[in-house]
Amino acid sequence: MIALTSKVCVVGDFAVGKTSVVERFVNNQFSEKYLSTVGVKIDTKEIEFPDRNMAQKLVIWDVAGSDRFGNTEFVYLRGASGYIFVADGTRPMTLGSVDSLREQITEQYGATPAVLLVNKRDLVGDWEVGEERLQQLRESYSDVFLTSAKSGDDVERAIQRLAEKIIERDLQEA
Amino acid sequence: MRLPDSVAGFLQTDFLSQFRPFCFLVDSDFRLIECWGDGSWCGLEQVGKGADLRGAAPFLVGMDLGVEQKLEFVQAPGLAVAHLYLVPKGDRCYVILLDASAEHGMLQEKQQSMNELRLLHARQQKLIERQRELISELVETRSELDNLRREAERVSANKGRFIAMMSHEFRTPLASILNYSELALDSAATSNDVQKSIETITRSARHLTSLVEAVLDDATLDAGHVQLVQQDFDIRGLLENVAAMMAPLAAEKGLSFATFVDPDLPSQLHADDVRLRQVLINLLSNAVKFTIDGGVKLTATYNEGRLVVSVSDTGPGISVDDQERVFQAFERGDGQGSPGAGLGLTITLRLVELMGGEVSLDSMPGEGCTVSVHVPVAQAAGESREPVEILPTPSQDSIATKPLSILICDDDEDMVALVEHYLHRSGYGLITSSGSAEAIDKTLKFDPDLVLMDCNVPGVGGVVAARVLRERGYEKPIVALTASKLDDDEKSVFTKFFRKPAPMQDLLNEIKRLTH
Repeated sequence: MIALTSKVCVVGDFAVGKTSVVERFVNNQFSEKYLSTVGVKIDTKEIEFPDRNMAQKLVIWDVAGSDRFGNTEFVYLRGASGYIFVADGTRPMTLGSVDSLREQITEQYGATPAVLLVNKRDLVGDWEVGEERLQQLRESYSDVFLTSAKSGDDVERAIQRLAEKIIERDLQEA
Repeated sequence: MRLPDSVAGFLQTDFLSQFRPFCFLVDSDFRLIECWGDGSWCGLEQVGKGADLRGAAPFLVGMDLGVEQKLEFVQAPGLAVAHLYLVPKGDRCYVILLDASAEHGMLQEKQQSMNELRLLHARQQKLIERQRELISELVETRSELDNLRREAERVSANKGRFIAMMSHEFRTPLASILNYSELALDSAATSNDVQKSIETITRSARHLTSLVEAVLDDATLDAGHVQLVQQDFDIRGLLENVAAMMAPLAAEKGLSFATFVDPDLPSQLHADDVRLRQVLINLLSNAVKFTIDGGVKLTATYNEGRLVVSVSDTGPGISVDDQERVFQAFERGDGQGSPGAGLGLTITLRLVELMGGEVSLDSMPGEGCTVSVHVPVAQAAGESREPVEILPTPSQDSIATKPLSILICDDDEDMVALVEHYLHRSGYGLITSSGSAEAIDKTLKFDPDLVLMDCNVPGVGGVVAARVLRERGYEKPIVALTASKLDDDEKSVFTKFFRKPAPMQDLLNEIKRLTH
């Protein structure tokens, strides 16, 4: 089996659930308590693709929440093979932050495989992203997932999709 | 400037104890060459020389070892929070880790508080926005409720008025029917009593029928069950017919009745003529009903596919406050004592709206009233703009400019119809009589502005009737229109003498001269 290792960065505004998404993906756990991330938290998880006879170790960089990157944060992103953009479906303005961050990243490092997670879909009563906005996002990001770190809905599928995109790109480049 | 050795030594000791630096040198493939310091806090003390460090130190994955870098607050499995420095040296690179746990703890606490405050603020804004929406919805709901309450009150008031109307308007003719039926059935009643009773019963029954029809019409319109039946019809004929129906009622009250028809009005239109006729009869009936002195005028014009029919009267007028109310069911403005269901204008408005038109009202108290109906009406297919008239329209010069009534006395129905045709179109109200006695009675009773007298009429004849009128104080013009030959003495009784067949335009000009 071929083993690959890729660095992916999780970015988005503060308190959108980035750390919870990673915790759900890596350890299949969730905590209701909000704990703000300072700097960056690094975790790893291996995904296997038996049909490709490949295993991919993802080194996941959970970057502190921000609506705009400064020099300090940009250093964290250096060498990333993919991005997991996370927004909060109960705070539509966090979608604007994601747009802004993606623009900065593309400008600095060029187009890179990415997925968008509109998180907290378990909070049905507070959900504020309508179908029209979602359609716009699908046109812009191509891979959009409505996730819940709390229930685990679509978290694994979203990150697995990113891993596939990275492999496809790596194979293309090879 | 170099620090004294003792100070430099102190700072070095303090720095080393606080940050516990661990440094290692790797080659371009991340293999460990050498390491220095305490690696226990970062889980790297067990790594052997020559091993790929990316397994034990995953934060090195993707790193460019050829660029000097500083990464603050890096937290990885088995690694306390560290500041990470990469210092390249040729094709090798020093990786330096400084323990940042204490600094991280303080900063995390501050950032946590700040983010929680921002979240609270965002939630507060959301709540304020929701509160605003709720207040707005509340105001809207309140307004809707107020409207519904007002509507319910209006319906309730209408119901009350309807019952009051039923009680009064229906009971009066019913009482009359009952009383006169009893009178007719009384064994002591004479044939004359029976005749009069039956006449009264018939009149009351007709009145009741018209009331019931009005109430049923209103209910049908209310339920939205009225369907318009569009067809080609003769608009001029309809106007003449309605005028012919209403003119005698106006004349009975001593009112003039004038009709002005726009020469451009097509003769054939395409609409629901039955409902249009109902509208006109409603408006004219109201005008005649509420006017005591003066007259009623019916005007019809047609412009760019819109028919405008106006009914003007010299009645008491309607105050601005009452103008909206008179279109509501069972309302009669100030004329609450007038007979009827109070539904005429309501039905008119609903029918006109059903036709896609509007009703306008122009009135001031004491200055009469004009109600205009504006309806979009198409011309009949193949309709010519040229009006087809058997009798010509009188010239504008001969048209009356003020409400005037004329009594015609002639026993020749065709002649009466002919004169009526011209006088109606010239704006005069008409009172007709077919004999000299009737002419004398009606003239003295209604005091018309001019009498048009045929000499060869049943009774004492026109000449004697004119003399009697003069003797009884009638001083207004009496014009002879006769086929008889009169001597000078007979002619002197009349203000003017016309021999049949007289040119109608001359007669109209003379009538205008004498009455204006």
